[in-house]
Amino acid sequence: MSEPLLSVSDLETQFHTDAGTVFAVDGVSFDVDHGETVAIVGESGSGKTVTSESITSILDTPPGEIVGGTITFDGMDLTTLSETALQDVRGKRISHIFQNPQNGLNPVYTVGRQIGEAIRIHDHGDPEVPVQRQVVDLLDKTGIPEASARVDDYPHEFSGGMKQRVLIAMALACDPDLLIADEPTTALDVTIQGQILRLLEDLQAEHDMGIIFVTHDLGVVSEIADRVVVMYAGKVMETGTVEDIFRNPSHPYTRALMDCLPGRGGSMDRIEGSLPDVTDPPAGCRFSPRCEHATEACRSGDQPPLWGVDNGDTHEASCVYYDAEHDEGELAGGEGATGGHQ
Amino acid sequence: MAAEDADTATFEDIDWDAQGISTLGVSRAGLAELLSYLGLIAAFVYDYTWNTGPLVFRWDVLSVEWLFIGTLIAIVFHAVIPLSQKPRLRAFYWQRFKKNQVAVVALGWLAVMFVVGVLGPLLIDPPTTQFTNQSVPPVGMSTTVGGVVKTGTWQYPLGTSAKGQGILTLVVYGMRVSMEVGLIATIFSVIIGSAVGAVAAFATSVGRGRIDELLMRYVDVQSVFPDFMLLLLLTYLFGSELWMIILLFGFFSWEGIARTVRGEALQRASEEYITAAEASGANMLYIVRQHLIPNSANSIIISATVGIPGFILGEASLAFLGFSDPTTYSWGRTIATGQVNLASAWWIATIPGVFLFLTVLSFYYVGESLRDAMDPRQEVDGGGGL
Repeated sequence: MSEPLLSVSDLETQFHTDAGTVFAVDGVSFDVDHGETVAIVGESGSGKTVTSESITSILDTPPGEIVGGTITFDGMDLTTLSETALQDVRGKRISHIFQNPQNGLNPVYTVGRQIGEAIRIHDHGDPEVPVQRQVVDLLDKTGIPEASARVDDYPHEFSGGMKQRVLIAMALACDPDLLIADEPTTALDVTIQGQILRLLEDLQAEHDMGIIFVTHDLGVVSEIADRVVVMYAGKVMETGTVEDIFRNPSHPYTRALMDCLPGRGGSMDRIEGSLPDVTDPPAGCRFSPRCEHATEACRSGDQPPLWGVDNGDTHEASCVYYDAEHDEGELAGGEGATGGHQ
Repeated sequence: MAAEDADTATFEDIDWDAQGISTLGVSRAGLAELLSYLGLIAAFVYDYTWNTGPLVFRWDVLSVEWLFIGTLIAIVFHAVIPLSQKPRLRAFYWQRFKKNQVAVVALGWLAVMFVVGVLGPLLIDPPTTQFTNQSVPPVGMSTTVGGVVKTGTWQYPLGTSAKGQGILTLVVYGMRVSMEVGLIATIFSVIIGSAVGAVAAFATSVGRGRIDELLMRYVDVQSVFPDFMLLLLLTYLFGSELWMIILLFGFFSWEGIARTVRGEALQRASEEYITAAEASGANMLYIVRQHLIPNSANSIIISATVGIPGFILGEASLAFLGFSDPTTYSWGRTIATGQVNLASAWWIATIPGVFLFLTVLSFYYVGESLRDAMDPRQEVDGGGGL
């Protein structure tokens, strides 16, 4: 296999606050390929957004700081790139779309002008084609009806879903290789959610983009993702293809998350306890204080490495039960077990 | 697409505007503005170095008039042209503004004051002292002073002062002074106030809170400083030329605007389009000018409009106290000279007083109605009141 489009390895991002150093992302690794959608899943505060923002260094620094790891994108290590070089990557090669479309557009300029600006500042597009033509095409492509009439409208004249389409159009203005979508559908209602997800899938197929999809919504993950990274308290708990994760959730945390889905497992279950204090993370597995299967081995040392699950090379879980000494079958004993493995 | 031609036409305006930003840093309107100011400065330099007579025909442009022309250029490029380019925005605000009918009348009054104040002194000769026509009452009235009956004539429709100057002429010249004071001082306080406020907010949002702290503490100090005493002192020391009084007003009254803009801009600075601009390498000047100030424009316009009557009243008070420029025909000065004759010639003080009152009131009403039209958060108060 050739080099992946993006390869994040051992990423560590910290925030230096008055309350101490927050280990927001603590050794996260994953790859994204052209045309592939990788979903980063986790509850609020698990570090998924910080991970996605570390990629293009759009964190507030200070207090944030990328202290370790490499982010290799198209042969460049983004963590060592100069700010000027990064500015060329941002928007042009890697685009972001965010959760709240209300904040993404400046209310005093027309959407056409704002998308046009994205094309111009990145010097993109065919210089022969007038910028407004390109803007209308982009809006058209993102499914905005009567794009040529709406290009001169102001953001307040668009609904939430339409604004998100405008922002997607803006993100696509420079035909990026990688799109980072940080909960792009969370602020939208369910019917619009589906449309936006389908739109992203279509656009991905057309442009052969990699997509990093950050969400806490497993329903959305099952619809859009090819591969899944489950994060908890700044650590990767489990990674695998979407089939691996949904057919055979292996880490106790992933299983607990699945059980929280309405209509699955014990209905309306919840995970007891709350996220650990990331300024002072617990020893051993980050999830051990809330894990019903936790043993002594889980509560000491560092987060267990990602052990292969099912001998497959795509599915890994950071849990001691998957190392050579434990029998992962012991995990199945708990309530809400959904595993169908040997 | 059938509608393509129409789109191209409407998009054209935005296109060159934005195009300029990414290339030279100036748009076509910006270039025109720059040229206007360069022309103004060139004319000013010429007038003050080589030119001895009047600059244009018989108009010898005064210091304060240079400032006034500069202010008018700013108003044309930052209010008139943008509004004319955005018919929908204009219609939207007008729709809301005209709900307050008193404010519409007030706006009409101010428009008349503005046009007459700007053009009047160019067309009418300045008031002259004539001892033959002292204290003539307005047309259609007559008074008896010391056994002499005086009847108003159409030569002086609003009567004359104790020095025989036509009250109408004094009022027209006073309009110019009031407009100059109100607009120039406001422009200065708006420029300084919004720049300080936006920079302070932006500094905080990028983690340079110390700049914010420094600027806003200075604002606190200046806002408790007794400006009026300073004004009296400076006019005593350096004479009381109108341009100086106006600049003092402008430089010592921007604190409110700075605070308003800072508050507004702080909210905006956390929004994603600002993050995106920063991430793409936009510098502070660009973000402040393109994002923070336009988004705070409503607050700026409202506080500016509400601030104008304060300046006009302030100048009138100074003039009334005798600290005004003796070469200008301020309403305050006319009122002061007329108040000693109030019993025998009521019109001298009263007529300019009524104009001053109506103008100040109109600015308040227009400001209030603008607030209702532009700032939806204020609507809960019902609006309309002073």
